[in-house]
Formats: sequence, structure tokens, C-alpha cells
Amino acid sequence: MAHAVPVVSDIAFSDLLADPYPIYKRLRDLASAVYLDAARLTLVTRFDDIMTIERDSETFASSNPGSLVNKVMGHTMMRKDGEAHAMERRAIEVSFRPGTIKSHWAAQFEAISDRLISDIESQGEADLFDALAAPMASLALIELLGLKDVSWQTLARWSQALMDGAGNYSGDPEISTRATDAAAGVDAAIDAVLAWHRQNPNPAVLSSMVNAENPMNPEQIRANIKVIIGGGLNEPRDSILSLTLGLLSNPSQLAEVMASRDLWPLAFEEAVRWISPIGMYPRRVTRDAELSGVQLRAGDQIGLCVGAANRDDRRFENPDSFDLLRPKQPHLAFGAGPHFCAGAWVARQMVGRIVVPMLFSRLKNLRLRPDEPARIHGWVFRGPVSLPVAWDV
Amino acid sequence: MPTITFITAGGKEHAVTAEIGRSVMEIALEKSIPGVVAECNGSAACATCHCYFDPAYSEAIGPIGEHESDMLDFTASPRRPESRLSCQVRVTDTLDGMTVCIPAMQ
Ligand code: FES
Repeated sequence: MAHAVPVVSDIAFSDLLADPYPIYKRLRDLASAVYLDAARLTLVTRFDDIMTIERDSETFASSNPGSLVNKVMGHTMMRKDGEAHAMERRAIEVSFRPGTIKSHWAAQFEAISDRLISDIESQGEADLFDALAAPMASLALIELLGLKDVSWQTLARWSQALMDGAGNYSGDPEISTRATDAAAGVDAAIDAVLAWHRQNPNPAVLSSMVNAENPMNPEQIRANIKVIIGGGLNEPRDSILSLTLGLLSNPSQLAEVMASRDLWPLAFEEAVRWISPIGMYPRRVTRDAELSGVQLRAGDQIGLCVGAANRDDRRFENPDSFDLLRPKQPHLAFGAGPHFCAGAWVARQMVGRIVVPMLFSRLKNLRLRPDEPARIHGWVFRGPVSLPVAWDV
Repeated sequence: MPTITFITAGGKEHAVTAEIGRSVMEIALEKSIPGVVAECNGSAACATCHCYFDPAYSEAIGPIGEHESDMLDFTASPRRPESRLSCQVRVTDTLDGMTVCIPAMQ
């Protein structure tokens, strides 16, 4: 008979933020689903269990009537299931197609990356978070969405405010106010360009939304643009930094990838497996179900820890090390199932084919600074928050 | 029900009966055929359900959609004329006897 969800209550929230991986290992070895007091959530941490869940969206739904995401952003496709989700997703698909990326976005991403690297080239040292990764991700997203007259700093601020609002479980009024202000800012920025996109069909997301076969209504546009802003900025930013950090910490692998350009895609996939930018996302249990011997109940909220699954030693050998030459097999950094990351191919191209290769080819003898080590933080969203580097000028 | 034979990259054959109306990807997962990953569960977004389909059946399968063709340019194993995303191919009576080869990498 299946047993109840075990509870772990001796872990401090700060430990989870600082380094979730030893905690994940403990949870994986304990049971398929464990209630972690510090997170106030039942967490699923094994690779196979998450795969099982993501193949059954009737039992494990994304929709969640009471979710904070809905409150802050409106009814986004991220919190819908079945045909309602599929229809909205199809409307934006064309902007994210690999072919569109190659023929249209790649050149724009290259121009942005070139400009940012040229700006710092003569300096000899920088923190790549502020100098490259954050502006790169933000400027690329502005283009991709089709916004105009928005600075990268403004978009980055909106993104953070929306995500903080969506995670504001304690109901902090200051965080809610900032999220509401950001939401209003996004709405105004959409209103400023929507008519133009309607009249000038182009590959940008806003254009796809209004010109699709089943166009989105204004409420859907506003909600979905917010969810893309909230969820589409950190991930490329953090994966630029994780990939750079992984290579700088492993000189022999860096030498391999510099010698053979074809290895860049593998290096990118390994970076997002190693430090998955989205470490956890929620699902709602709709009916009593057994998960590998643990009894889940209808109404349970569960967190799928893909950051843990991607280091599951049942699946990956030496899961904690960065090894781009490890046997290729799927990871869960982009999720799985119908909500598989719509931006996966954008990230692959931008981060793995353009920005990081350009960084290493332009900045000679790029290296970590022993006096100022990189700092990595977070669990729901995880990535380097500081990556100080030096190079020869 | 039509019979479909999957051939893995290692050459092992798995003949299965396939329910009409399901996608070939779903059949492969249901019968635990190794090598079909299907990360996006049929949303035509991941290209990890790539297979090589028997060319004799190309008419019965139907034409490749624009989006599907786009994704096929980014498969881990080389694209060939008989490449399809197995999640976009529906089982019908006319596919009886078809073989589907699974590539070495997804
Ligand atoms: S299952 Fe993802 S493209 Fe077919």
C-alpha cells in the first residue's frame, strides 16, 4: 500500500537558497514526494517521477484557480491545460520556430551581443552579470516581443517585480504594489505598439498574437506577454552565466569546444542541466493518485524540482560535475509535456550559438578571478548572481 | 488494428498493434519502445520524437506540415527524406505493415 507523503522539517530556507543540491539528494533518496517545511510545498525530485507527472496533465494540472500568477499577471497560458492552452500556444509558435530564429532573430541577437562585448572589450575585467548577461537577455526579449521605447533596465525591473509578485506567498504589500505597477507599465507598453503590429505583420510575438489564425483577445495578450516577460528574461541571462562559468571552471572542456564549434550545443545543454535556471515549477493534483509508492491527494499542491531531477544520480553519472562530453540524454531544464518551454530554441541559438561563443572568441584569455569568486543563488530560480572575470587587453 | 514495426538504432525489431487515431509517438511510449523521447509530449516543440518512416507509406502518412518541417531541421540525428516527427503522424488502417526506424540520438 502506498504511504503518506513524508515530511522534512529540519532544513532552513536559507540553506535551500544557498545550495539546494544536497537537500535535493536527501529528498530523492527519501521518497518520490516529500513535504519540505521550509518550502511549504510537497516536492517531487526524481527524474522519472517528473516525467510521469508531465505525461498526465489530467491528474496533474497546470491550471490553478487561486494561483498568485493569475492574480498578478491575469490568466496566462502557463496556467491553462488542454485545448485552451494549445490554442494560445499555437498563436505564438511562429515567433519561436527554429526557422524564424535562424532567418530573423539570429542576426539581431548577434548585433546586440556584438555591441555589448565591444563596450567592455578594452576594460580587461567586468562582472558579466551586469556587463553582458542581463542587458543581453533583456534587449533580446524587447526585440522578440516587439516592444518599442522600453529600456533594458525597465524591462528587467518589470520582470523581477512580476516574478516577485507571483511568489509573494506572505502577501507583503510592498511587493504587491511593485507588481501592480509593473503590470500597468507592461500594459501601457503593449498599448503603444499593438496597432502598429496589427498593420505590419512581422515575426515578433505581439504581431503573432494579433495576426494568428485564432488571434488572442486583449486580455490574453496582456496576460501572456507578462508571463513571457516574467519567465523569459532570467533564463537566458542565467544560462549565459552558467555556461561561461562551467567552461571557465573546466579548462580542458573549454579547449575542446574552442577546437570544435559543433560542441557548443552540447555545452549549452550541459550548462542548463548542471544549473537549471528554472529549478521548480508547480502542479496541482486533481484526483487521488499514487506516485511511486507515495499517496497524493486531490487538491495537493506539488512542486516539480527539475533542478533536482537534472542531478538525479539514477540517471546522470557524477551529476554535480559539469561535463559537456557526458553521454547525451534528455534533461528537464525546459520542462516536459505540453508546457515544454516555448523559448527553448531561442535560448539554444542565442546563448549556445551566439553570445557565449562570441564572448570566448573576442575576449582573450578569459578567466575567473580568484580574488572574487562567482556567486550562485536561488532554488525556484537559480543562477550566478555575480560572475567577475578578467581578460587580456 | 494495424501493425507497426519499430526498429531501434541497434537493429532490434518490435512489432506492435497500434490503436487507430493515436499518434505513432504515443504508441511508441505506450509500448516502451526505447529511443523515442518525446519531451514535449506531442506539441511539435522538441524534435525528440524524430523517426525515419518507411518511404512506401509516405502518401498514406500525409504531407509534412510547415512547422514540422522546420523542427525537423534541428533534430539530433541527421534529417533524411523519410524523417518525420512521430507525434505528428496519426495511426490509420492504411499504415498497417509500416516500419518505423528510430534514430541513434534524439
Ligand atoms: S514529441 Fe516533441 S516534437 Fe514530437
